Amino acid sequence: MKVWPRPPEEPFPPPFQAMLTAILARAARVQGGRTEVARARQRALSQSGTFVGHRAYAPGDDLRRLDWHAFARTGQLFLKLLEEEERRQTTLLLDTSASMLAGEPARWTGTLRLAAILGGLALRHLDGVRVVAGGTDVAFAGSAGLSPMLQHLRVLAPRPFDPVAAAQSVVARGAPGRIAWLSDFADPAAVERALAVLRRCSARVVGWQPMIAEDLDVPLRGWLRLVDPETGVAESIAVDAELAAAMREELVRLRRRQDRAFVSFGYPLQRFPLPAATDFGLASWLEAAWSRRS
Amino acid sequence: MEPPFLTAPERLWWLILLPVLYWLALPPRPRRETLTAHLPQWLAAAARLRRRPPRFRRWRFLLLVLAVVGAVLAATGPSLPGTVGPSRLCVVVDSSASMAHRVGDRTAADAAIAALRTGLMNVPPHVEIVVVIAGGGVARRHGAAARAFADPLQPAGAAVDLAAVVAAAGSEPDTAVWTITDGQSPPLPEASALTLCGASGDNAAIAAVEVVDAWPLPELRLRVQLQSRSRAPWRGQLQAQGAIDAAGPFAVVLQPEERQVAELPLRRTAAGGALTLELQMPGDVLPLDDRVVLALPPLPLPTIAVLGDRTSPIVRTAVAVLADEVGGKVIEGDELSRAGFLFVEGGVAELPPGATRAIAFGCRSPAAPLPEVWPSPTIVDWDRQSPWTAGLDLSELEVAHALHGILPAGEPLLWGGGPGGERVPLLVAVPGERRALHFAFRLQDSNLALLPAFPQLLRRAFLGSFGAAHRIPAPQLPVPGTESDLRALPAVGRPLPAFGSPARDLGAYCLLAALLALAIRAYVR
Repeated sequence: MKVWPRPPEEPFPPPFQAMLTAILARAARVQGGRTEVARARQRALSQSGTFVGHRAYAPGDDLRRLDWHAFARTGQLFLKLLEEEERRQTTLLLDTSASMLAGEPARWTGTLRLAAILGGLALRHLDGVRVVAGGTDVAFAGSAGLSPMLQHLRVLAPRPFDPVAAAQSVVARGAPGRIAWLSDFADPAAVERALAVLRRCSARVVGWQPMIAEDLDVPLRGWLRLVDPETGVAESIAVDAELAAAMREELVRLRRRQDRAFVSFGYPLQRFPLPAATDFGLASWLEAAWSRRS
Repeated sequence: MEPPFLTAPERLWWLILLPVLYWLALPPRPRRETLTAHLPQWLAAAARLRRRPPRFRRWRFLLLVLAVVGAVLAATGPSLPGTVGPSRLCVVVDSSASMAHRVGDRTAADAAIAALRTGLMNVPPHVEIVVVIAGGGVARRHGAAARAFADPLQPAGAAVDLAAVVAAAGSEPDTAVWTITDGQSPPLPEASALTLCGASGDNAAIAAVEVVDAWPLPELRLRVQLQSRSRAPWRGQLQAQGAIDAAGPFAVVLQPEERQVAELPLRRTAAGGALTLELQMPGDVLPLDDRVVLALPPLPLPTIAVLGDRTSPIVRTAVAVLADEVGGKVIEGDELSRAGFLFVEGGVAELPPGATRAIAFGCRSPAAPLPEVWPSPTIVDWDRQSPWTAGLDLSELEVAHALHGILPAGEPLLWGGGPGGERVPLLVAVPGERRALHFAFRLQDSNLALLPAFPQLLRRAFLGSFGAAHRIPAPQLPVPGTESDLRALPAVGRPLPAFGSPARDLGAYCLLAALLALAIRAYVR
């Protein structure tokens, strides 16, 4: 299989780093930002700790956490939510498959920049960040960990990515905390299997899908050779208006499957339209910061 | 089996078009390559619209190559080499009279036709066939008429020299010769296929028939020569039937290898007709030579009328003698219309040439002028070769006087010396269907009646007036004597040789394969 190189553009140019600094500086001033730490602590749930409440059972939940007393009283299945004081960290699970190289600008670069923002905010509000990507699992802690994290993200290269294996890797090292899964979710079936693994461990997952133009529309026309960088399969297709319309329907169908995969496990999926490659405007990227808090 | 060969192999150069076809069959290359994470969605969208990505269609290209190769091969004229062997068959069928002999419940001729039909069915269609019927004469059939030959043979005539016929037929190139015979006409040809359809057996034949005719009297005597082709004495009978009074059958005993003569005294009927003579021998294998048919003409009307001077004693005596000689009678008066022969002595009478049987003495035609009397003509000569007067002695003939210019046109038979020494006819024979003798003098004016030749002359006049119609034609023997011996032992037959086959053109098959490939290609996507 062909080994694809990293995109040539620098993922974190100085304008982006300046914008990132501005975003991190604003993080404390946004509405509710002061209580972010406390809320984050409360959300750091685990299998042991202080009981903080119930939530409805969803398929894939650990049956050991069912509250049978509540079932006896109400006839409905609830899970007990426990707070673990010690574990407060965010795990960035990055899809490093070659399919992330698609798009103009490449989804790969946008994903790294989004991961930098999300990781920076986590380092700003929480104690630590785990970056699981490309077979690596590196932890960063505190504001001082920002630069090493950026450097770590910069050197990542496209590698085969198995969502299920990655999920198992994440949960194998213990409480992953809040998991931000950045991917194109091109294979909803594999995504469902990976989410089932994470759900079984009661992990809290937020899916982040950096959107490129091809995810929403079909700007391409003409006689094209389309290459799937992940599988290496190439097809020559003549794209006209009729095929573009059919392709748009397929994209809608794909997004519905992706949404269904996350909704079935009770996890949110955030779609973040990537700005242009040279767009480092604060307004364009601040949306990501706000979305993280929701 | 030899491999196929190409008639025009230089046309294989057209196969250099194949790389061009391959280049044309390649799908066009997109000018732009794009990475996408949604290739499955692209393919699903295209499949929903029933669109297939353009790609190199192996099967379509292979079928196109097959069609082109087939067309080029068809143009090069591929052929399967033929096999060496004769491409022409000459069948010589013996149709001599001996082929009519019986073999079981059929004749040898029927067996020959059956063998011919069976053999020709096994001859390949491309072989040109000539059938030569050799019997009496030689007849030929060519082409489709020869291949479908099924006419019954009519055995007749003497045997043809089969060896010579076969040698002549075999001298043509690429020709095989097949002889079908009964084997009774040696020598048999040695350089051809041979089928023997006859069998040996005893045969007796009528070898010759001699007719002793007493015409105009009804008595008839047949001298029949019989030939036995057996190895033991043979008893049988000879039967005569037809235009005769009842007679026979006549028993015969034939000795081996001897020719015997049987004499049959018969009596003809007046009306005439066919007389069938049949030799009936038990166990005779060839009935064709046992039967002879003779055509007997009707007997003459034996009535004699006298015109002119009936009172002359010489005339009356002469007529009476003639009637007695030919078995007729003299009629007079109203019966003249039934007269078969006229005896005219002087006077005037209308005797149309060729329409009257008569002997006329000194009779002139009513249309002729009055004749000039020729006193004491001297007899200078007579025709000694004519059948009328041959062998007769007329040297003592004396004529008191004759008449000039009363003789009709005809063949002069007797001459007298004229005044200037010239020869003047005194007797002419008028030809025609009905003949007549005209004398230039009356019978009573000469001493002709006193000559010894006169009775014979009268008889010849009567018989000669009927011309040749009274003669019994010599019978035709259906089987020559050489065909009657059927005792030859059958020889061993020889099979037909293996025929060659022409080169087989495979161009049509190549073209058909090319068209089939194109037809299949139309349904392959």
